[in-house]
Amino acid sequence: MTTLLDVRDLTVQFALPRQGFFGPRPMLEAVRQVSFSLEQGRALGIVGESGSGKTTTAMATIRLVEAAGGQVMFQGEDLLQLDDEAMRQRRRDVQLIFQDPYSSLNPRARVADIVREPMDLMEIGTPEERRARVTELFRLVGLRPDQLNLFPHQFSGGQRQRISIARALTTNPKLLVCDEPVSALDVAIQAQILNLLARLKAELGLSYLFISHDLGVVRHVCDDVAVMYLGKIVEMAPRDALFDAPQHPYTQALLSAAPSLARRKSRGYVRPVKISGDPPSPINPPKGCAFADRCPKAQDVCRKVQPVLEPIGPSRVACHFPG
Amino acid sequence: MSALLQIEDLRVTFNTRYGPVTALDSVSLSVNAGETLGVVGESGCGKSITALSVMGLIPSPPGKIAGGAIRLAGEDLTQASEARMRALRGAEMAMIFQEPMTSLNPVFTVGDQIAEAIMLHQKVSADQAFRDAVALLDRVGIPSPDRRARDYPHQLSGGMRQRVMIAMAVSCRPRVLIADEPTTALDVTVQAQIFDLLNEIQRDFGAAIILITHDMGAISEMADRVAVMYAGRVIEQGRADDVLDLPQHPYTRGLISCIPALGKGEDTLREIPGVVPPLHMLGAGCAFADRCAHRAPRCDSEKPLLQAHGHHPVACHAVAEGRI
Repeated sequence: MTTLLDVRDLTVQFALPRQGFFGPRPMLEAVRQVSFSLEQGRALGIVGESGSGKTTTAMATIRLVEAAGGQVMFQGEDLLQLDDEAMRQRRRDVQLIFQDPYSSLNPRARVADIVREPMDLMEIGTPEERRARVTELFRLVGLRPDQLNLFPHQFSGGQRQRISIARALTTNPKLLVCDEPVSALDVAIQAQILNLLARLKAELGLSYLFISHDLGVVRHVCDDVAVMYLGKIVEMAPRDALFDAPQHPYTQALLSAAPSLARRKSRGYVRPVKISGDPPSPINPPKGCAFADRCPKAQDVCRKVQPVLEPIGPSRVACHFPG
Repeated sequence: MSALLQIEDLRVTFNTRYGPVTALDSVSLSVNAGETLGVVGESGCGKSITALSVMGLIPSPPGKIAGGAIRLAGEDLTQASEARMRALRGAEMAMIFQEPMTSLNPVFTVGDQIAEAIMLHQKVSADQAFRDAVALLDRVGIPSPDRRARDYPHQLSGGMRQRVMIAMAVSCRPRVLIADEPTTALDVTVQAQIFDLLNEIQRDFGAAIILITHDMGAISEMADRVAVMYAGRVIEQGRADDVLDLPQHPYTRGLISCIPALGKGEDTLREIPGVVPPLHMLGAGCAFADRCAHRAPRCDSEKPLLQAHGHHPVACHAVAEGRI
C-alpha cells in the first residue's frame, strides 16, 4: 500500500491579544506536534471534543490554516514548503467538505455552476467537457440532471451536502477532508450521506481525513481512528482495536459517554466510566498529561510528566497507565 | 388514576403564507411523576411545538391551539388565563432549552438570574434567594458555586451554562420538567454528565421529565416510555423497551436501523429515502407514505390512526392489515 499523506510534528499556533501595550503576544498552541499517516484508499477518523484541535489539524494539513511547524508529505512532497502557485495546483488533489451545507454554498449561484467552478478555476477541459462532467457528478452523488439549474435554497440539507460532495469531487481529488459532514443532518439523512461516502471511497479509491465528534459515525466510515485531546493525539489505532479495546482513559470515557441503543434505563444502566468537568484551557495547558484533572486513574506522575505515544498491540497510546 | 400531565387530542395550527397549516394533529401523550417520556423525531416533526404548547409559549398569532386539552393534575392549561400560566410556569412546570447561551440573560450574573426565578414564586428575601441559588448551583455540580454565582453567562462553558439552566428550572421543584434537546450543543462527555444529572434530579424530586430528542441512543438511556412523532402526529408510542426492541412503524424501524452503531461495523446503513414533507404539502393520506416501502393505495387516501397493535399503539395501515 502506498502512503498518500504523512504528517510529522504538525504544530499550529494562534496569537492571542497583547497583555499590555508593549507586551509580547502570547501564543496559543492549538495543535501540538501531531503526527499521523494515511494510506491510499483508506479513511482516518479524527475524533475529539470541541477545542481538541481536530478541525485545525485537518485544516493545517491542507494549508487552509497556517502551520507553525512540522511537515506534511503528500505523495512525497512537503505541502508546507510549496509556493502559492504550486499549492494552488495541488489543491485539485485535496478537497474539502464542510460541516454546514447551508453556509458553504453560494446562495446566488445555480448548483451546476457551483459544482463546475473548480474546473473553471483549474482550467480543466473544454466548456462541453465541463458540462458533461457536472452531469456525471450529479448522477454519481444521487441527484437528478433536472436539478442542475436550481439554487441551493431549493434543496434539503442532505441534498445540499450531496452538492458539496459533487463539488469536492469535480477535480478528481485523491484526498477528501470531511469536516463533520453529517453533524448538521437528521439521522435518517445522515445514513444516506454516510452510505454515499462509503460507496465513493470504494468506487473511486478515495482517501478520507474524516473529522467527527460522533464515534458511531467514525466507526462506520473509518479504517483507522485518532483520538485528540487538547491539541494532541492521545490514542491512534485501527478501528476495531480502538472500539473493542480502547486503551486511553479518555477514549474509554468517550465510548461510555456516547448514547447507544444497547444501554437501557429499564435495565438499570449506569455509566461505568464517568468523567467530570470540562477540558482545560489551551491557553495555559497543564505541564503533564492534559487529561489528568479529569482522569479516574491519574497519579502524581501524570501531572508532572507528559506521556508520549507508545505502541500497545496494534494501538499507539499516550498514557502512563493505559488499559 | 390519570397521569400527572395528560395531553389529549391536541391540535395546533399556524397561519403561514401557504394558509393555515396543522403543526400538531391529534397528539395525545401522558407522563407520570417520576417517569421520563422520550419524544423523538426528525426536525420539523412537532416535538418542540408540543413542548411549547404545554408551557403556553406558542407564539400567538400566528400559532393557535385549535383543539384538545393539556391537563396538569386535572387542570386544563389550554383554558388557563395568562396570569395563571405565569404562576404555573417555573413553579409547577419548567423547561430547559437547547441553547443555554441564548436562553440566559447576558447582562445579569447567573446567581441573580436563578434568584429572580426563586423570588417570583416564593416569598423569600433577596439574600435568601441568592443563597438558595448558590445551593442549587452546588446541587447541579458546579465547582466553587459561591464564586460562580457571581459570574456572567459568557464566563461559563457550554456544559456549565446548561447546568445553570437546569438549576434555574428546578429552583421551585417543578412537577414537570421539559428538556428540549438539552445536550445538542454540547460535547458527548458533557452530554453524559447532563443526562446523569437529570436522572439524579428525577430521583431526588420525583419530577416527570419530558425529554425531546432526535437521538434514539439518548432515548434508550433516559426514557421509560417513548413517543415517536412524524409530521405533527404521534405515530408510535409505548414502553421504551417495546418500541426500541420491537418497533412496528416503518419510520421507527428506519430511525433505529439508520444509526451507525458503536458495537458493530456493518457495511451499509439502512436509509430512509427522501425527506420529511413540508407541513403545508400534507395530503389526505399517511405523511410517511412517500418514503415508505410498504405503501399501498389506502395509505394515500386515508390517515392511519394510532391504534393498539401488539405491545403498543402504532399508526400504520400496513401494520394494522398485517402486511408487515
